[in-house]
Amino acid sequence: MTGPVTVEFAGARSGQGPLTWGQRAIWRLTEWLPPGDPYFNMPWALPVHGKPDLPTVLAALARLLGRHESLRTNWIAGSDVIGHQGAEQCGMVQRVAGHGWLTVGLVDAAGARPRALAGEIAAELAGKGFDYADELPVRCAVVMDGGRPRAVAFAFTHMAVDGRALDVIAGEWPRLLSGEPLPPAVPQPLDLAAEEGSPEGAARGERALRYWRAALDRMPRPLFAAPQGAPEESRFVKLGMESAALGAAVTRLAAGWGVSTGSVLLGAYAVLLSRLTGRGTVAMQLVVGNRHDPRLAPMVAALVQDGIFVLDVARGSSLAEVVRAAHQGVLASYRHARYDPAAQRALIEETGPPPTAYFNDVRVAGGWPNLPSQPPASLGRIFPVGAWPEVDADVFLSVGPATHTCRLDLLADTALLPREAIEAMLREVETLLVNEENT
Amino acid sequence: MLRERVAALVAQASDGELTTAEVLAADCSLTALGLTSLGYIRLIDTIEEEFGFDIELDGSLDTLDGLVDHLSRLAGRPS
Repeated sequence: MTGPVTVEFAGARSGQGPLTWGQRAIWRLTEWLPPGDPYFNMPWALPVHGKPDLPTVLAALARLLGRHESLRTNWIAGSDVIGHQGAEQCGMVQRVAGHGWLTVGLVDAAGARPRALAGEIAAELAGKGFDYADELPVRCAVVMDGGRPRAVAFAFTHMAVDGRALDVIAGEWPRLLSGEPLPPAVPQPLDLAAEEGSPEGAARGERALRYWRAALDRMPRPLFAAPQGAPEESRFVKLGMESAALGAAVTRLAAGWGVSTGSVLLGAYAVLLSRLTGRGTVAMQLVVGNRHDPRLAPMVAALVQDGIFVLDVARGSSLAEVVRAAHQGVLASYRHARYDPAAQRALIEETGPPPTAYFNDVRVAGGWPNLPSQPPASLGRIFPVGAWPEVDADVFLSVGPATHTCRLDLLADTALLPREAIEAMLREVETLLVNEENT
Repeated sequence: MLRERVAALVAQASDGELTTAEVLAADCSLTALGLTSLGYIRLIDTIEEEFGFDIELDGSLDTLDGLVDHLSRLAGRPS
């Protein structure tokens, strides 16, 4: 590094208040981890197009922090706050700085590809836990090549952003660089927390939790039989699959059945979970972006929360029937995923634990717009992604952001599903849908 | 007319992908017509706000006529 430089930023206001539901949901996840664990940090990199000079890029970064209060927020234990103002609900407050200084590392690419190097630097920056009370929730470095900025590496804490918030920043980035005007960023997390605390907001959260209660009462318990086998040493194993053939099959099935591609994959997952558990009703949690409200869509904030989804997979029903039922049901689940996590925890104390199977479709647009026009007849490639000693899930299927192929990741507890069974289940999703398409 | 109003709300929820006329003329599900899941959830939120009903998505409400029938039934229900 040849830097760093310090960039001053200033926003329209400073302030302090209770956490948003989304922030509380992330905070609850971080409480699982030892202090300083970087698991929920988000490394990220952006290219710098148009050959602007360094002051222009630094000004864009200052504008980004000035514009989004989430990026100049600290989270402080209520007991450390004089008067405990706003801390009554979860013992924490969010405090937005009106102005401050961002330290920006400068790195010479020295022959490396700037974008790839930015990715590596981002991973480094994200490798250490954030000091939520005292540190800005974003770290960054600019990669220089031939004296000009070519890419920016970031690490964010998940308290400040979620995956969709990064899409928002990517969308604003060209105008932040060019200095073109952007629409005012409202609401900010402080506003959202105030709305959530209002009688209307509270009623909305209670309605979502009524939906949760009905689902928790209906779900089978236990979801999985007690684990049979000996787990691997790193017990939770994630395998990935990339299959253009699957993408093509799902695309055609979705069109034929009048549902989204996500619902086709969800329906197939439900069928396989039903086989795995031997139960006619399956239950899972969904990772919900909570951005369908057009007011919330452009927010740089962590809005993601869990939804709950319970589906009857009657013996003898066709895949088309399961998928259609999944499509209707999942939309209801997506609508009921904004609530106070503390109230949800109280509900779970009463009803019993939520499902330990998960589904997450991270695609923004849906579909795979860049599938090859003649998708290969061959089956997809399956490969290891990672392994962890402790994960708060038994089975977790995610649909990745690739647009040229259907990318699935399946993580499971190897005491429940040994590695070969994880591979077999991924393959089954593919064969189930490819064969269905050929019938 | 309720049907026209709901079709206009569908068009609005589609982010400009659909026109009111297209929605009125279609004889397929709103998803098949091109309304995304996000758009559909946005639509139900807007309908709840505009008509003042809570809509639970337990039935098949993925067509214009299904939605209009459902709203008519809700409106006819003594409050």
